[in-house]
Amino acid sequence: MGLRALFGSLPPRIPYSTGNVPVESLALPPRATLLWGGASPGDVGVAVGDTVQTGQNLAREGAGLFMSTVSGTVEEINSFRGADAVDYAVVGINTVEVDSYDSSIKSIEDLDNAPPEQLLATIIRAGFPGFDALVQGATVETLIISALDQEPLTAVSPQVLIERANDVSAGIAMLRRATGAKKVVVAIPHNSAHAADGISVDLAEIVKVRAVYPNGLPEILAKNHGAGQALKTGRNGTVGNTLVVSIEHLVGMVSCLREGRPFVNKIVTCCGKSGGELKNILVRIGTPVSMALDNLDVKLPPGGKLVINGPMHGYSCFSDEQPMTATSDSVLVQEPAEVHRFESTACINCGRCSAVCPEKLEVNLLGRFSEYSIFDKCAELGVENCIECGLCVYVCPAQRPLLHLLAHAKLVLEEETVGK
Amino acid sequence: MKAADLTVSTGSHWHSGARITDFSYNTLLALVPAIAMGLYHYGISAAGVIGTAVASAMIAEAAMQKLLGKPVTIADGSAAVSGLLLALLLPANTPAYMVVVAAFIGIAIGKQCFGGLGANPLSPALVGWAVLRITKPWVGYLDFDLALINYDLGFSMQYPLAVLKASGASGLHDFNTWNLFLGNQTGGIGASAIVCVLGGGLYMVARGLVRWEIPLCFLLGVFIASSLFRLVDSAAYAGPLFHIVTGNVMIGAFFLSTDNSSAPINRWGMVAFGLFCGMITVVLRVWSVYPDGVVFACLLMSLFVPLLDKLRASPIIVRPATIQITKEARREGASS
Repeated sequence: MGLRALFGSLPPRIPYSTGNVPVESLALPPRATLLWGGASPGDVGVAVGDTVQTGQNLAREGAGLFMSTVSGTVEEINSFRGADAVDYAVVGINTVEVDSYDSSIKSIEDLDNAPPEQLLATIIRAGFPGFDALVQGATVETLIISALDQEPLTAVSPQVLIERANDVSAGIAMLRRATGAKKVVVAIPHNSAHAADGISVDLAEIVKVRAVYPNGLPEILAKNHGAGQALKTGRNGTVGNTLVVSIEHLVGMVSCLREGRPFVNKIVTCCGKSGGELKNILVRIGTPVSMALDNLDVKLPPGGKLVINGPMHGYSCFSDEQPMTATSDSVLVQEPAEVHRFESTACINCGRCSAVCPEKLEVNLLGRFSEYSIFDKCAELGVENCIECGLCVYVCPAQRPLLHLLAHAKLVLEEETVGK
Repeated sequence: MKAADLTVSTGSHWHSGARITDFSYNTLLALVPAIAMGLYHYGISAAGVIGTAVASAMIAEAAMQKLLGKPVTIADGSAAVSGLLLALLLPANTPAYMVVVAAFIGIAIGKQCFGGLGANPLSPALVGWAVLRITKPWVGYLDFDLALINYDLGFSMQYPLAVLKASGASGLHDFNTWNLFLGNQTGGIGASAIVCVLGGGLYMVARGLVRWEIPLCFLLGVFIASSLFRLVDSAAYAGPLFHIVTGNVMIGAFFLSTDNSSAPINRWGMVAFGLFCGMITVVLRVWSVYPDGVVFACLLMSLFVPLLDKLRASPIIVRPATIQITKEARREGASS
């Protein structure tokens, strides 16, 4: 009730977490699972039984980069289709305790003077995601370093900002040269503005962003503080002009490049249940989520939900063997009673979805067109602009699965264009 | 990966807790003061009309849903709201059979034939009322001066809009705007309780269940159009305040025109919808044969909703120039 409801276009207030959540290291998993999006088992260049090193490229020659984050023996090569309709190549590795590092990642002593091409190549080779578009020729107008988490119930970025403040400035200068960005913006949550004290004003423009969902999503940051559109590589090529890099990846780059080591450890915020206490753990990429849950003493409730990457736009898993990836920020377990049930109710045209949509889409119409497979109308209404933030679902009084419908329409249209 | 006993779905995995019933139950709650004033003025006969309308609307909804083989959803309260709004527009001694006919036509033809809640292009309550209004033998029952002839409530028992129609603005010296605002006027059971309807409407707006654009622009439209008429001839045409506090304007602005499925949802669509509803209301009051034009204005504008939905606050693509690297461009780049 009140002002927020009065002006229906104000999004509902879903704040990001602010607390200081110390990071605890998790032991190396006995078996790690590595995922390679958009690839098939045939693209994998190693065979079952092979020994692999940490940082080794597991892709067959010419197929790209698929970096191992552990050392050990390949036990399984498989495939699966993710919730995002992307096919993944899966490699299971039985790990060994002591890492042996692949020698192809070279350390760069002098980050200030190394040539940009070498910096960029090393960043990509060290396993940081999201930079592929740059080697394919995309230009970065604005580089945004985001110290905001993407989702509520995540406490990764504030923690990194507290613990690794010294590396931020060096990282910004390095990444600016590596990407050739014309402008650098550091996005800081409004409630921890002092965190930006150590960053030189000459280096980057510092903007305070209200720490409320969806302000931390790359698409929203790019629209509000960047050059317009976040860089994104899809099946139809690359679009965008703004590169959004999380602060965790930024400080990770600094240490990885200095030491010549791959990016293998990721901070993940775990939450036993909605509203429960948050816990930050440092996990090896490839660790199954079950290990993180064991560490928390959380039992998976039958019929409950396991959500990775946040309650709003995260994805739910069908298995507790789902591994952590370089972009996994959080793990949330929901009791069956907490699980939101969708209904097949007809749209009542209340218009709340359109009012909260950060992309100003007519979600009420899109949902109905998609429901009845009228996809050309969806394209007319700009469904491809949907950033899948989930706010429409959050506010829908008819409990319609709007995100499901919109994502379905996007996928169908995308596949049509790919076919052409 | 081995499947575990887990629920999977797309996001969002949280929900605000909003329900369809929020709209209908809060509308019923918001209309309680208006109902109370109607009962206070007209007594048991008003209760009879309200009860009959609500009951027959719900029965009509259940019967149609059974007939069409759909799940019965009268518990969502939308049929009760339609019935109640219909009753609040009618004179207190409307015969029960008329109420039943209006409620059945409103729900069965106005709503269920189009697919039920959310799919109806016109508000069911307004369809029911309009059918009664244009049915010739029943015209006398909806004429407030004739229908309420046996009541004496201690204020002028002439329907203000009928007086305006008959003798122009110069005949209105009996009416005091403040008294009219307090609900001391004849008219529909609840529609004439202006202050109560306004209070309920503001409650709905504050809860975010009614978007503020439509009521505000509705009243603004009435104000603008009546001011224009007033400028032309102040003896013949009543002032804007008189128009706002009489007849169905207040209930129309907050409850009739804001029916979810028969109103636009984009901001500029809502603004245009409200303004036109208000202005057409005044035009109908001045030039049509009916003393009040709110219901017909709302019905007419509802037909334009698909067009008004095309009025967008901003273009879909709100992004500046973007680079696009297609597969062809990439291949060319590689070869050169």
